[in-house]
Amino acid sequence: MQYKSQAVARLYFIAAIGLFVAQILFGLIMGLQYVVGDFLFPAIPFNVARMVHTNALIVWLLMGFMGAAYYMVPEESETELFSPKLAVLMFWVFLAAAALTVLGYLLVPYAGLAKMTGNDLLPTMGREFLEQPLPTKVGIVVVALVFLFNITMTVLKGKKTAISLVLLLGLWGLALFFLFSFYNPDNVVKDKFYWWWVVHLWVEGVWELILGAILAFVLIKVTGVDREVIEKWLYVIVTLTLITGIIGTGHHYYWIGTPEYWQWWGSIFSALEPIPFFAMTLFAFNMVNRRRREHPNKAATLWALGTGVMSFLGAGVWGFLHTLAPVNFYTHGTQITAAHGHMAFYGAYVMVVLTMISYAMPILRGRAANPGKAQVAEMWAFWLMTVSIVFITLFLTAAGILQIWLQRVAATPMSFMDAQDQVALFYWMREWAGVVFLTGLVVYITSFFVKGETAKA
Amino acid sequence: MNPGQLALAETPALRPGFAIGAAHSRQPPGDLAIWVFILAELLAFGVFFISYAVTRLHNVALFDAMQLTLDRNAGALNTVLLIAGSWCVARAVAAIKADRRAAAADFLLGAIACGGGFLVVKLFEYSAKFEAGINLATNTFYMFYLSLTFFHFMHVILGMVILLAVWLKARHGAYSAAEHHGMETGASYWHMVDLVWLVLFPLVYVMR
Amino acid sequence: MAGTFTTSMARNMFFGGTVFFLLVFLALTFQNEQIIPQRDQRAQLDANPAIAAGKKLWETNQCIGCHTLLGEGAYFAPELGNVYKRRGPEFIKAWIKTQPTNTPGRRQMPQFNFTEQQLDELVAFLKYVSEINTSNWPPNIEG
Repeated sequence: MQYKSQAVARLYFIAAIGLFVAQILFGLIMGLQYVVGDFLFPAIPFNVARMVHTNALIVWLLMGFMGAAYYMVPEESETELFSPKLAVLMFWVFLAAAALTVLGYLLVPYAGLAKMTGNDLLPTMGREFLEQPLPTKVGIVVVALVFLFNITMTVLKGKKTAISLVLLLGLWGLALFFLFSFYNPDNVVKDKFYWWWVVHLWVEGVWELILGAILAFVLIKVTGVDREVIEKWLYVIVTLTLITGIIGTGHHYYWIGTPEYWQWWGSIFSALEPIPFFAMTLFAFNMVNRRRREHPNKAATLWALGTGVMSFLGAGVWGFLHTLAPVNFYTHGTQITAAHGHMAFYGAYVMVVLTMISYAMPILRGRAANPGKAQVAEMWAFWLMTVSIVFITLFLTAAGILQIWLQRVAATPMSFMDAQDQVALFYWMREWAGVVFLTGLVVYITSFFVKGETAKA
Repeated sequence: MNPGQLALAETPALRPGFAIGAAHSRQPPGDLAIWVFILAELLAFGVFFISYAVTRLHNVALFDAMQLTLDRNAGALNTVLLIAGSWCVARAVAAIKADRRAAAADFLLGAIACGGGFLVVKLFEYSAKFEAGINLATNTFYMFYLSLTFFHFMHVILGMVILLAVWLKARHGAYSAAEHHGMETGASYWHMVDLVWLVLFPLVYVMR
Repeated sequence: MAGTFTTSMARNMFFGGTVFFLLVFLALTFQNEQIIPQRDQRAQLDANPAIAAGKKLWETNQCIGCHTLLGEGAYFAPELGNVYKRRGPEFIKAWIKTQPTNTPGRRQMPQFNFTEQQLDELVAFLKYVSEINTSNWPPNIEG
């Protein structure tokens, strides 16, 4: 690596992968509970498994983003980090907060956890994805602010590139919109309305800036294409993202008590949301085709291309499938949403973090790229995980279509649980696809320990 | 008449810069970045217009009745103002190509004034509607009327901000016959704002 | 000079476009705040403090971790936005009290040991949610 302080990224990446494992294990528990309802009950009820599954995902992606930022920003700014010590300290604070929170979820009944952690002072808990106790939420804000201070100071004292500008904007936006998680009015309509300012404006807004910046950075490194070309692509992509995605928030405002004009605004703008993702796919393939060097890290290039394709499929295509209001009337709150969520999160954010780890981790370990055998293992992991997420998505889509038909369209609609029994076969297939995913993850982790000849970084 | 035909019919006539530019190169005038933005915006407007047309087909009686409550004179006046604005912008680009820098800046100011006039007329129109208690939830027609015109209204403001920036640079002599890339870029955007209105006005105010 | 694509113009487009669409979104949000009082049953909230208490119970027992409410949440257990209309208050209370069923292999709902007053508060909350104007969603009573 070019700058000593980039080394802090390594801690973040390792913790990210650790939480990734936890996320998948709890995912498998939930998947099994879908078909064997009393599995692990009452030790780990479904809602607890789901909290761990989704919160671990969010935290490990944030860890990945932070690690990526700590790796990228010194190289982009051509200067050491403002304070590597602060970065290490914040890592341990964040990890401890995450671990304590997960232990709290697993060991204390949720209502008790709420009481213990002062939810009565400012009730923010118990909303999807924002289940964290108040101290954790405050901790996230503190860690984010210190992190942003560190990164921003580094950029300010060094060179300011388009990539670090877009990255910084994404990260600041991330911190800013998280503040809406502290707003929890009694009015359910308002609660839900601003809840989406965290959730949607994260994943279909500012996170995409971070995604674009990371992808652009890795593509510059592995293809050797002119920075100027890549930066223009980046600007075009993030512009398209925000001009469609911000008002695209409206596609969550169809049926939650909000006025009906959102059905039009939401449908029209979110129908355009696949465009930036398609541009991202074109971008990744174009740059790799125009490459000016053969980087020894083939795995990283594969992850980068995979991000382009899978984010388009998961976020773009599967998002479009149910984003138009007349379609969403039937699909809202069904397994279709789950199908989209799985492929979109994997294709966009999991893959971009793994792209960064794939590129940076060998360098952090003092080599340009991993040995050939290790890369082959990593590519196996890529295919196992990617193909199984495609199947998870297809099975959930099938389950969703059937569910909608039985429960919402048929002349004599079934009750929710009766419909669930009818689609159990697809849940079983999803669970087996999940097992393949875990296999891929095990292969992925193994690839870090495969030894062989390497060139020095 | 459908919006697509109208857009095709209007484009060459309204964009003299395009025709002049075409004599020299096949590239659109101004920076390609603005064209990415323009295409994205036209796409959004296009989908909005199609949604309007389709919805109208299902609610012809409501749309025809509601259309009569619009102030068509104000709309027509605004059409004139925007066309005049586009003419000014086209003259500004022509002037700078002849290196008449002061004239170019004056024409830009004229275009900004036309835009300002548009906003004033539109605000009178809006205040009458708001006083009557009309909002996005009044009915489907007014949902479209307010959405489309407001979205366009915001574009006029953005277009004016861009023209203002170009005008300030022009006054400081940043543009010349040899170098007027920025002015062409701003001009292209303004023509887009105008073009959208030329579809919107007949579609929402006039067509029955 | 036609046909060039400069990084600085691309950056301007990014900043300009972002600010512009953020402003449009804020305007739509402003309009949203003006219209929702006709739809969100806020008068009930002022009249009956049990609703807010019920919402807090809903949250602190993490009901959203299995159920959906107006279609949002987990897809493991039935939609509860309209459960008041589907089942009625007495059924809801009786159901919560008898959990878990302990039927082998079936999905299980935990026992939350609510007091009678808390059950009434939850029901008040679910009644309030069921009366929000959701543009006729869900498609039928099954949710």
